Amino acid sequence: MDIPGSLAIISLAALIHASFQLSVSVLTLLSGHSIGAKHSQARLLRLTSSFVIGAAVMTVLLLSSVSLILIQFYGSNPPLVVWAAASGLMVGVALCIWLFYYRHDKGTALWIPKAFAVYLNDRTKATKRSAEAFGLGLSSVFGEILFIIAPLLVSALVLIQLPAVWQLAGLAIYTVISLLSLLIVWVLIGSGHSLGKIQKWRESNKYFLQFVSGAGLIVLVLFIYAVEILGSTVGFN
Amino acid sequence: MTLSVDVIKRGGQRQSEQFMRDKLHNSIVSTCLSVRVPTGQAESIAHSVCEAVIAWLQQHPEVTSQDIRIVATKHLRIQHPEAAYLYEQNRITI
Repeated sequence: MDIPGSLAIISLAALIHASFQLSVSVLTLLSGHSIGAKHSQARLLRLTSSFVIGAAVMTVLLLSSVSLILIQFYGSNPPLVVWAAASGLMVGVALCIWLFYYRHDKGTALWIPKAFAVYLNDRTKATKRSAEAFGLGLSSVFGEILFIIAPLLVSALVLIQLPAVWQLAGLAIYTVISLLSLLIVWVLIGSGHSLGKIQKWRESNKYFLQFVSGAGLIVLVLFIYAVEILGSTVGFN
Repeated sequence: MTLSVDVIKRGGQRQSEQFMRDKLHNSIVSTCLSVRVPTGQAESIAHSVCEAVIAWLQQHPEVTSQDIRIVATKHLRIQHPEAAYLYEQNRITI
């Protein structure tokens, strides 16, 4: 696959990652506790910035780790069966997202283990320092591993086929795009927008976001199936 | 001020405790501040919501923390709908 095509796949995968909501939920809650505790705007910005940096670091670490594991097993040219397995995984994750992503209650509670949700809730309330907010950012990305593993795996499969410099560019592109939703909420909170309005928008549009995440994965599967699997079979690659 | 009302905690896993007005007051103030309500107004809203909840508690010697949240939300909605929305969402955001 050529470099623009590879970067397009990475960008689409990162957009799908950006549509997942756990980090945004934690950031909203963290900001609410911080404003409610009468912390200064500077402290609010410190906490939320540390949270976003934590989420970025965990995204880089996860994508790099998955890429490293794939390189160790398959070198820089993964066999067709790995692409087929990744496609199957993406279809499975897309169906899971359509069926389970949000809990069927009021609010924006997600289908993650209840104990982990309670842990994140309690940790968010207890977070007072930047280092704790950074750790919370790391945990919130890791907590969604069941869903983000699909876009991460596809991006890693594409990344390992690129020249070294483009691998770094791809890693940066994935990280920045996957953080877009978090960055938008961070800017809104930092500029004084009401948390109530942000949360109301999220709740009103949660089923749309759920549909878009699943549909995005299906589009990505179709593209990969056509380019990597059918392309290799009929000799286009 | 402490009423002699037993509050059963969420899920029934933790020990029940006596109703504490200050705890309710602080949580309402904190929610109001989260939606950028000025401190004085937040205190006044919290005072009025606490009074309404205490009036309701006079007829209920044993309640769950969820009951208190529902009653407080109902009265907060009259005073400040956006704060009531956020108060209701606190446990169902993640």
